[in-house]
Amino acid sequence: MVHQAGYRETRAILEKYSISLPKGILISSKSKVNLSRKIGYPQAMKIISNDVIHKSDAGGVVTGIMNIKEAKLAFKKIIKNVKRKMPDAEIKGVLVQKMSTGTEIIIGMKRDKQFGPVILFGLGGVFVEVLKDVTIQIAPVSINQAKSMIKRIKGISLLKGARGSKPADIDRIALIISRLSNLSMNEKDIIEIDLNPVMIDGNKINIVDARILKC
Amino acid sequence: MLKNIFNPKSVALVGASRDKKSVGYGIAKNLVKGCVFKSKFCKPFKRKIFFVNPKANKLLGVKCHPDLSSIKQKIDLVIIATPARTVEAIVEECSRLKVGGMIIISAGFGESGKEGRILQERITRKAGSIPIIGPNCLGIIKPKFGMNVSFAPSMPPAGNIAFISQSGALADSIIDWAIEENYGFSTIISTGNQASLEISDYIEWLGKDKDTDAIAIYIEGLDDGRKFMETAKRVVKKKPIIVLKGGRTDTGQKAISSHTGSIAGVYNIYQAAFRQCGIHAADTVEELFDIAKTLGNLPPCRNSVAIITNAGGPGVLCADYCESLGINVVELKKSTIKKLDDSGKMHPAYSRHNPLDIVGDALPERYDTAINTLLSEDYISGLIVIQTLQTMTDPVKDANIIIKAKEKFKDKPIICSFMGGKFSKKGKKMLEDKGVPEFNDPKKAALAMKALIDRKENI
Repeated sequence: MVHQAGYRETRAILEKYSISLPKGILISSKSKVNLSRKIGYPQAMKIISNDVIHKSDAGGVVTGIMNIKEAKLAFKKIIKNVKRKMPDAEIKGVLVQKMSTGTEIIIGMKRDKQFGPVILFGLGGVFVEVLKDVTIQIAPVSINQAKSMIKRIKGISLLKGARGSKPADIDRIALIISRLSNLSMNEKDIIEIDLNPVMIDGNKINIVDARILKC
Repeated sequence: MLKNIFNPKSVALVGASRDKKSVGYGIAKNLVKGCVFKSKFCKPFKRKIFFVNPKANKLLGVKCHPDLSSIKQKIDLVIIATPARTVEAIVEECSRLKVGGMIIISAGFGESGKEGRILQERITRKAGSIPIIGPNCLGIIKPKFGMNVSFAPSMPPAGNIAFISQSGALADSIIDWAIEENYGFSTIISTGNQASLEISDYIEWLGKDKDTDAIAIYIEGLDDGRKFMETAKRVVKKKPIIVLKGGRTDTGQKAISSHTGSIAGVYNIYQAAFRQCGIHAADTVEELFDIAKTLGNLPPCRNSVAIITNAGGPGVLCADYCESLGINVVELKKSTIKKLDDSGKMHPAYSRHNPLDIVGDALPERYDTAINTLLSEDYISGLIVIQTLQTMTDPVKDANIIIKAKEKFKDKPIICSFMGGKFSKKGKKMLEDKGVPEFNDPKKAALAMKALIDRKENI
């Protein structure tokens, strides 16, 4: 049966292929919210539950948390929202991460019935949702092929430093794409992966959220 | 192994029928006469033909046998056009007689539910190593041999384009169109359900077929995308492959899905696969055959192209299309302009840049000078020649000049747009007959040039 891999498992699978997720603290109860101070501000907080696939839709994400008071409120709000919208979901806790800035991108994988693992790259946020500005390559994807995937998107100028931002380190994105391709060629029980959003700011790259579907 | 199917010395039709409205009669007539609807391209198939029909003695002058076993001669190819329930026994007989190949025309197999699927699996197993085309297919046509082993209405001209179609009815219409347009085919294959032979097998075979210079394919779905890619990647190095994919909308998208899952839809994945193989993905039936004709008849082109025109407007349009497609409409060098000036053939007001407008009153010799001067330059790799019809224009002579240039500059493609109709027709036809692709709309000429540039980059 298709199911979502848990937080720890997701982290472990990605680590195995040198794809690292940013540091985060899993808060399992209200009394432990204080631990989140260590992360620094601004923070993002999100629900951790194998049953919640679209975290925002379930009211399971709060961003822009600036202090511990806001963090406590955010924790309460997330738990309340998810319990109301998805009463049967098993909640493991809430993950706190430092927010990162930059341009949003998405890197993904889908195992197609006819073609096997397929890798997707695109600009994140509105670009992927509305404009579907993505490129697709059937795995295995070499680093060079990954670079050309990145350069084929229509909004490539946004990664090259349009609107005054730092040019994105395309080689580093390409490296993650090729590592995801390796993963997809080896881990045959994984059917879909979303690294979304990934924040890219110059040479700083930060995988804010990752989701793995297994069968 | 497919030689027995595509170049058989003897063919037996099981289900040859006297009923003129039946498929069995259509195939019988196609075998004997070449076609049902008469065209100048029909000719009889001069190989051994046997009919099987236990109720008839003779059909269309050919003796009918009660069954395959009573033919008592070696049979390369058996065509089966009997009801689905009778097919299994005939396949068993074919297997016993060790025939070379089978085309199963009959419907009522994998396409028609679970029972059909089981029957299809059973006959495929019983055929063993004997290759099968179909079931549920139109058949195959090889115009060069006068071989119409199908129930297609007529016979298209012979030519150098192969067409593999997952839709038999589409092939029927293409044949009718091809007769009118004089568009030549080396082979037409209707794949049917692909119980044993699949698109990859046909690509492999056509890759080695010396009569085929380009492979056009209509695909709805593939069972094994990776195998298709592996074969196509190999064959595309030798021969261009052009694909039109039907079926763009995803049905049955599962409820639980990631972003990637919902965006990377079936059509997008196919397009990625085609691009990775170096296949040209066509958007329409027309483009499929336009590009097949272009890639099958012209050499690949480096991205450095010139446009010659006797009219400003169409030249500008063509340059616009080229630019939006990423075609480099190359800057003409001073030395080239000097050669044109020195020729004494140019109008004083000719454009002196690319697109090269040689002005409305251009006579054939001005076209001749412009074409030869530009194609003699190393930095110009291909040419789009536009002709509009003015009072002094001579489409036939212009066409002749282009045909001569094609022979002289063998490694540089020329694509034409003789815009017009009634009074340009003869010139257009001459070009087409000599393998110079001609398009009424300059946009299509630009698209064809782009395909030649992509091909250069893909091989």
